[in-house]
Amino acid sequence: MITRWLLRRLARSVDDRLRTAPVVRRVLAAVFPDHWSFMLGEIALYSFVVLVLTGVFLTLFFAPSTADTVYTGAYAPLDGARTSAAYASTVRLSFDIRAGLLMRQSHHWAALLFVGAIVLHLLRIFFTGAFRRPREMNWLIGVTMLALALFNGFTGYSIPDDLLSGTGLRILYSVTQSIPLVGEWLVFLAAGGEFPTDEMVPRMFVSHVLLVPAVLAALIAIHLGILIRQKHSQFPGPGRTENNVVGSLFWPSYTVRTLALFAWVLAVTFALGGLAQINPVWIYGPFDPAQATSPAQPDWYVAWGDGALRLFPAVEFRIFGQLVPSPFLPGVVFGGLTFAGLYLWPFLDRRHGRDRLAHQLLDPPRAHPARLGFGVAVLALFAVLLAAAADDVIATILRVPVLDVLAILRVLALALPVPAGVTAYLVARALRANGGRGVGDLTRADVRSAGRLVCVGSPVGGAPTGIGTPEGTAEPVDADRVELWRDRTGLWRWRYRGASVSLTANRAYPSRAEAERAARTAYGDLSVWEVAPPGGRPGAPAAVAARAGRAAGRVGGYLALAAVAFWRARRDRRR
Amino acid sequence: MTGTEAGPARRIGVILAVLGLAAGPVPLSASAAPTPVPPDTSAAVPGGLVSPATPGAGPGSSAPPSATDPARSRGADLFLRSCASCHGPRGEGTQRGPSLVGVGPASVDFQLSTGRMPLDQEAAQPPHRRPAFSAADIQAIVGHVGSFGGGGPQIPTVGPGDLREGRELFLAHCAACHSAAGVGATLTNGLVAPSLDRSTPVQVAEAIRVGPGLMPAFPESILSPAQVDAVASYVQHLRGDRLDRGGASLGRLGPMTEGLVAWVVGLALLVGVARWLGSRAGR
Ligand code: HEC
Ligand code: HEC
Ligand code: HEM
Repeated sequence: MITRWLLRRLARSVDDRLRTAPVVRRVLAAVFPDHWSFMLGEIALYSFVVLVLTGVFLTLFFAPSTADTVYTGAYAPLDGARTSAAYASTVRLSFDIRAGLLMRQSHHWAALLFVGAIVLHLLRIFFTGAFRRPREMNWLIGVTMLALALFNGFTGYSIPDDLLSGTGLRILYSVTQSIPLVGEWLVFLAAGGEFPTDEMVPRMFVSHVLLVPAVLAALIAIHLGILIRQKHSQFPGPGRTENNVVGSLFWPSYTVRTLALFAWVLAVTFALGGLAQINPVWIYGPFDPAQATSPAQPDWYVAWGDGALRLFPAVEFRIFGQLVPSPFLPGVVFGGLTFAGLYLWPFLDRRHGRDRLAHQLLDPPRAHPARLGFGVAVLALFAVLLAAAADDVIATILRVPVLDVLAILRVLALALPVPAGVTAYLVARALRANGGRGVGDLTRADVRSAGRLVCVGSPVGGAPTGIGTPEGTAEPVDADRVELWRDRTGLWRWRYRGASVSLTANRAYPSRAEAERAARTAYGDLSVWEVAPPGGRPGAPAAVAARAGRAAGRVGGYLALAAVAFWRARRDRRR
Repeated sequence: MTGTEAGPARRIGVILAVLGLAAGPVPLSASAAPTPVPPDTSAAVPGGLVSPATPGAGPGSSAPPSATDPARSRGADLFLRSCASCHGPRGEGTQRGPSLVGVGPASVDFQLSTGRMPLDQEAAQPPHRRPAFSAADIQAIVGHVGSFGGGGPQIPTVGPGDLREGRELFLAHCAACHSAAGVGATLTNGLVAPSLDRSTPVQVAEAIRVGPGLMPAFPESILSPAQVDAVASYVQHLRGDRLDRGGASLGRLGPMTEGLVAWVVGLALLVGVARWLGSRAGR
């Protein structure tokens, strides 16, 4: 009772002075769609909260300096050794400070989850077209936050001044240095001298705990502010239009759900932090420019850059007499292209689709086969790059030469993305034609007809007979139309087909004419097409997905056998 | 905490290992003795018929060595049976194996105690396995190979060493190949610097002095005996999960496995939770 009265007094007095009621009312009345994929961004948000909480704890004990110190403490192999203050304090955090190791590990796990959740969130936005007008601005902010998260992860990973991260820092230094004309200046400006300098740790520390988190927090606020103002997008569905949002109110039902998610994020990060060891810097030892450890990789979210450096052949060339060192193309140019592509995507997509309209309804991913195919191809490339960053681990585990691993990954980097993208493209087309069913229901005929469509430009669904359109005129495939077919019971059905939706009529008709009449009543001005029954004719071949799975398994088995035989032969020859 | 508690136990272990190795030959060679039956004890054996034949079987000059030094003949016997096919009956080397003349006891003991020899199939790199021979037999073979020709590093005696110095030396000399965590890493041609997870202190010291396979040998001018002791005791510290203070070690393979766990465990779980929460909406 008393708390309630107090709260009401407080709210009223704040509102009197700041006029907060309209804002709060607006937020509390905001409607959040129920689809799970809208919570991916929240996983990122809550990981950020965990990062700040644990990071503040770490800041209390971390000494951001490379000054010589003597570590004394519970870690016997370092007891009495001289190391940098940063390294000594990180080991002290891990061994001598109560809950220090839990906090350190949870911080690091949260960082991995943070970037992972951002990437998943970005993929959701990308494949559903949520970046389209009017949401381009939030896309740009999101990409900026991704870049800042990568950067902050890298600085955080580097400040403990251990042997492993020092190796990574040296690589970043030489990549930056490789930029023609300005590279030398940039590294001098950033690091204050030749690698390694005493300035690097304190500077990275300030950037890591203050500058970037502050900018991130501001961007998150703007991101969410824009979200509330523009309202959520939503997937198409019954009762969902361009002018409404269907879902739960922020208060109370969504609040409960999102707090549950927060609790889960806390639980998962701290469970990982307590149970799974991450970045054991006490084992790696302090950074020493004369030493090395192998295998060595960076954290996964920057590993694609490292993978590109390992895969790309070492080429140096001259532009206007300026020597451009080999890290320039895979490091600077590739990284730059990646982020330029991300920033420009909404505008490229708009041009490609000639679609400048505002959208509140999302595309199901299949609705845009080209976008889906492109995205899948890029993902395949990045997956190969990530594997390339682990080439030494793969070689150790499989006991094969690193150079062979690199050669295979080089081939994959060139050969995998396009087939992966084309497959995704074809499956999306087949799904779109088949209307609202899952990948598992696709038949081979569906995919083949989608493929034929791409090749010849004939309409979807086998050999339809055009009704209402002159024979031979190539109808644009995406145009709205009505489709008719005879189902397996012999009855006639029809459906409306738009670019991204298909609405199947409930009733079946004994004759084709009746079905056509019904369709014309509903959509008088659309052309009517007779098509093969969507999804699973009687006696249709088994679902393609299952077949493809089986075939892939068989091919994989043969490939594995061949690889084993190949390596055996090589090893024998070497002996 | 763990370091100080484990200290004495490890040290005792090291000392026992050293004592055991030093004392090993005495009791074990006694147990190996029954093979060539001495004439006087054979009288006690029920099959007394053998004794008349014994003097006739053992005349000439070949008997005395086996009678005076049974371990020696056991060594020769085992060598002929298990090693000569590749290394030649006098260790002179064949097409299938290098010469063992002058490799030194440390090398032979290392190869046998890590189970690398006898090689049963030709592999690019003999793996660490359970040793094929008992400690006494290894001792006997080492002695026999020593008779082919002198020289080579002796089996080092390893004492307790300074952990801190060991850590520094390990990072400076060994981590580039064996990884700072001691889990091993790839070199060239698919050969690896193996994990040190199963290496005893004596094996570590032997490897340092001998330089097996692709590994360089570190002579006393680079690593003094005290420094070898230090490295050996640090490697013991690396072994097992004593240093994995943070929980499951994930193989100590570094950030890529951690990233994999973050995706496969952490994110998969959270996405599952999001789906579950989403499916509960509106109820
Ligand atoms: C199947 C053939 C084979 C057999 C049997 C074999 N070895 Fe070897 N041994 C090799 C080969 C090949 C190498 C070289 C290994 C390498 O390059 O790592 C080798 C290396 C060695 C070395 C190291 C030589 C050096 O230069 O450091 C020693 C010691 C050794 N063997 C001892 C033995 C002993 C003792 C036995 C019997 C118990 C034995 N080997 C049985 C093939 C064999
Ligand atoms: C050039 C790389 C390299 C360096 C440096 C190196 N090693 Fe090795 N080490 C190897 C290789 C390769 C082997 C496997 C030898 C074989 O094939 O039998 C090995 C084997 C070993 C083994 C035997 C492991 C087993 O499986 O039984 C030990 C112990 C060992 N090394 C310790 C050390 C120590 C201690 C140092 C540092 C003083 C060191 N190594 C430095 C490459 C290296
Ligand atoms: C974008 C958000 C952040 C990311 C991605 C991130 C990531 C990281 C990573 C990967 C490390 C290395 C941890 C390790 O040693 O294993 C680290 C260390 C550290 N972080 Fe963060 N961090 C973030 C935000 C913060 C914030 C907000 C603070 C402080 C307020 C902070 C304070 C620290 C400190 C003091 C360390 C060094 C201590 C140590 O490594 O043990 N971090 N961070």
